[in-house]
Amino acid sequence: MSDIKEEHKEFMTDEDFDQDFFKNIERRSNIWKCIQCGTCTASCESGRWTALKTRSIVRKVVLGDLSVLDDPDIWLCTTCYQCYERCPRDVRPTDVIMELRNYATQRGNISPNHRAVVGYLKNTGHGVPINDEIRQRRIELGLEELPPTLFKFKEEGDDEDLKNFEKYMFDLPPVKEKEEETGGE
Amino acid sequence: MVKEKTFAFFLGCLMPNRYPAIEKATKFVMKKLGYEILDMEKAGCCPAPGVFRSFNKVDWMVAAARNLCIAEKLDSDILTVCNGCFGTLQEVNKHLKQNEEHRIMVNEKLQLLGDYEFKGTINVRHIGEVLGYEIGPWGIDDMIVRKVNARAAVHYGCHFLKPTRIREIESSEGPTIIEEYIEALGVQSVRFKEQLTCCGAGGGLKAYSGDASMTIFGEKMRNIDEVKPDFILDICPFCHLQFETGQDYLNKNKECNYDYPVIHISQLTAYCMGMDQEFVGLQYQLMGKNYIFGEKEMKKEQEVV
Repeated sequence: MSDIKEEHKEFMTDEDFDQDFFKNIERRSNIWKCIQCGTCTASCESGRWTALKTRSIVRKVVLGDLSVLDDPDIWLCTTCYQCYERCPRDVRPTDVIMELRNYATQRGNISPNHRAVVGYLKNTGHGVPINDEIRQRRIELGLEELPPTLFKFKEEGDDEDLKNFEKYMFDLPPVKEKEEETGGE
Repeated sequence: MVKEKTFAFFLGCLMPNRYPAIEKATKFVMKKLGYEILDMEKAGCCPAPGVFRSFNKVDWMVAAARNLCIAEKLDSDILTVCNGCFGTLQEVNKHLKQNEEHRIMVNEKLQLLGDYEFKGTINVRHIGEVLGYEIGPWGIDDMIVRKVNARAAVHYGCHFLKPTRIREIESSEGPTIIEEYIEALGVQSVRFKEQLTCCGAGGGLKAYSGDASMTIFGEKMRNIDEVKPDFILDICPFCHLQFETGQDYLNKNKECNYDYPVIHISQLTAYCMGMDQEFVGLQYQLMGKNYIFGEKEMKKEQEVV
């Protein structure tokens, strides 16, 4: 039985799923008020050029179609908040997408580039770490060679804060097997 | 009570690690304006509202709260020059002040990171709003030593004004705060098509799909190119990076020929307040290396500040 189920499972079922999902989305985004008017898609600055269709993403969530979590389109949003500002029903589509991305991350749907950024943060405390060229430039400008952030303290041997940060923050699930086979999304 | 005329200066990532000239300019401006600027030791990434909030909202809040705690210990409001940092820190600060359940949850996790507790005693400010409203065009007029006679394409970016119900600065559909301010510096803002749209870098898109990000940005540049401004003025180092590297990318890959200098509001203000052009740092940037403010400069009547 269970083998067959595994083989044919295309959609997620409720059992796979955190029961708080809808509660969280609802609390943050008023999603049930959506009347599918399309103002979000019409205002979408990314969707003008990409496959992102905010209206259908919201619809899928309302209908409980959780395939949306595996949909790469949810990662095309630039969080410009134009839909959020203009929605006549006060739904907050940007928050819906953020919530979906959080759940997608838990399922291991993370692009390799995003994994790398998390790596930088854990190693240096910065999403964009410094390099030798900028160190030199800072000196030329009369600034301290390193800004007084976590990274400078790490260089000086006081790395307790950064170690805690690395240990407790932004743990990502391991790379999916499927992802490895296909070279990743 | 927080200290008056004092800011804890939140650096973030892109300013100190890519555009240190903006850091130099901001410190110069704030000191000239009579503010004390305090270092936030052991601060880190804000963390960025696009990427890191997408992965784990709770950790995003905790890491932001950690930065807020550093400023709370200094009894000072935070000053940031970046829309992303502003987006994260202002939003988390406001949210945790209002939401007790989340405040307790965040404080519990904060203990794992060190001696931190979020109390909610400070506010988070953006340089655009400090210069535009607190100093204001009326106030900066007395503090500058020269004006720049130029036409600029003003780019607000997204997270400075939006979501308006959280930022509460001004309308996102027709803002004028930056235009009115730079007019006092002699700079005229030229309107262009779709002026208030995104630069295409946010939301983790630049890392996720560089192509999509550049397509969005390409449209932005076409619209800017139509009005031929002297430079692009922004208020965010991430937009700054997008305008810099984006023009370079379009030149190399899409047969464009752009060379618009990209200037942050701190850099422009510092120049008008007397900082040498050398420290404005255009020579370090990819675009508009040879642009010289002084060329069209109109001297204000000599008055020493």
